[in-house]
Amino acid sequence: MDENLRESRLIFYREDVERINRVLEEFLKLSGAKCNILIDKEGHPVTQVGTTENINLDTISALVAASFAATREMARLLGEDEFTILSHQGKKDHIQLTLIADRCIMATLFDDKTTIGMVRLYAHEASKKLNGVFRDIEERKEHPDESIAEDFGAAAKGALDDVFGG
Amino acid sequence: MVQINFARKEVNCKIVYYGPGLSGKTTNLEIVHEKAPPDRKGDLTSIATEGDRTLFFDFMPLELGKVGGMNTKFQLYTVPGQVYYNATRKLVLQGADGVVFVADSQREKLEENLESFKNLEDNLREQGLDLKKLPMVMQYNKRDLPSALPVADLDKAMNKYAAPTIEAVAVTGEGVFPTLKKLASMVLDNLNKQYGVGAKPAGPPPKAGAKDGKADSGEIPKEAPPERERVGVAAGAGAGARAQTAGGGVPGEGSTPGRGKIQRESALSSAGTDAPARPAGREATGREAPLRRPEPAAGGGAPAAARGGGRGAAEKSSEIARERGEERERRGPASVGRPGGGGGSKQPQVIVAGDKKKEAAGGGPSAMVILLGIVLAIVAVLGVLWYTGILDEILGTATGGR
Repeated sequence: MDENLRESRLIFYREDVERINRVLEEFLKLSGAKCNILIDKEGHPVTQVGTTENINLDTISALVAASFAATREMARLLGEDEFTILSHQGKKDHIQLTLIADRCIMATLFDDKTTIGMVRLYAHEASKKLNGVFRDIEERKEHPDESIAEDFGAAAKGALDDVFGG
Repeated sequence: MVQINFARKEVNCKIVYYGPGLSGKTTNLEIVHEKAPPDRKGDLTSIATEGDRTLFFDFMPLELGKVGGMNTKFQLYTVPGQVYYNATRKLVLQGADGVVFVADSQREKLEENLESFKNLEDNLREQGLDLKKLPMVMQYNKRDLPSALPVADLDKAMNKYAAPTIEAVAVTGEGVFPTLKKLASMVLDNLNKQYGVGAKPAGPPPKAGAKDGKADSGEIPKEAPPERERVGVAAGAGAGARAQTAGGGVPGEGSTPGRGKIQRESALSSAGTDAPARPAGREATGREAPLRRPEPAAGGGAPAAARGGGRGAAEKSSEIARERGEERERRGPASVGRPGGGGGSKQPQVIVAGDKKKEAAGGGPSAMVILLGIVLAIVAVLGVLWYTGILDEILGTATGGR
């Protein structure tokens, strides 16, 4: 995936996320995994499907992105471009992190109802589909129906006063 | 980089606290976590050594609430300040939308401040970012200490980008919120310029070393230097003096934390020791012994003595710092979020490497070792979080579910 996609600021419109969700849901159904979280490389969650009620999404996203960044650096020191898949095995639950389009990380949580082989197989398929979605996102420059409100800045500063004191 | 998600109706920004070791970056975040309204903050997660030195980062999400129909959130990070953690600093700095540079105002720390600031410039340049364009606030911390340099001197030495400066005594909370508020305001201004109605999404940031004048997504177009703003803190001579800071009172003062809690994972432990290690290597490099993380076992006079025997406000600050350190120690085992609390729960696996062993070897650890340690630490934190989630499920099932 090219440098532009990796570095450009991505904006996720509703239809993009719906497309992504469809791919993630299909992956869950086929692999038997519990949930999928898509996280951008800066640690912001993009979307999630499956059982995520007990998951602290913000913190998990930050940790996943940090973990991936750390192992990417390790890979570089070892002469690899990067490790595109990371797996962590627990006693009951396991997690696989898959790099998507050089821009996002798909965190898949699964348990012993499935196998890592199944997860890996379908993650590979999902990754290819998501690459296509991201390519479309990157090529589209703007979405006329969705944009930030004109007074966002002023309204946000008002909200700052609420949080930090005026 | 700001993430705008119209599906989740979220705007996510990343703010990084940067600075030399022990300048007060983590303290800033702890104060924000303590004082922020309970419904606006998430957990404070720290990946640190047993000596309470940041190993990878501290992280805390903070919500502004719904703005223009979008839930606006800031993710606050701190970096490890010690020199040999540069590789991890680069990782944390990636995608930053704004930086708070926390400088230690003490005269003897000036060189470290300058080294850290240059390091910040270098690391940003590698990512194609420029401090002329990236929102930044300089926080001059530890204003209460007797050897604190005048702000004018600090500005002259460090503030070549004419960034807004805020004086602070982070350990008491003074200056912490004004700093964050100022930077958040700058980040939002930038965002509004980039993504207002009719504005096109910015292109990719320029590559490192690029000489073109193409607008960067982080650019704040300006013809004149930004207005210098100083939020002062009363001189530290008088014990108990409260700072007069712009921004007024701190909201949520006295309120008990709500849903946010502190999770601290001690990634590296020096086996068989109770007191946090004081690395021998630090003395070898001629650096002053750490001041702001007092060991619970330390005698009352140690922190003050480490600061050259200052009295008055210095003692008061050290006492507050000591109390915070003791509170942190007390909170430590139960703060990881394990159910049932207490030290009887299983501790996550830790790497026995620690400050002692590293320093005994006479030098900093290799990048590989550090990264390996960080990865294992993160895995441990993830494991605890997952474990907590599962147990909640089980308990829910055992009591008859919903």
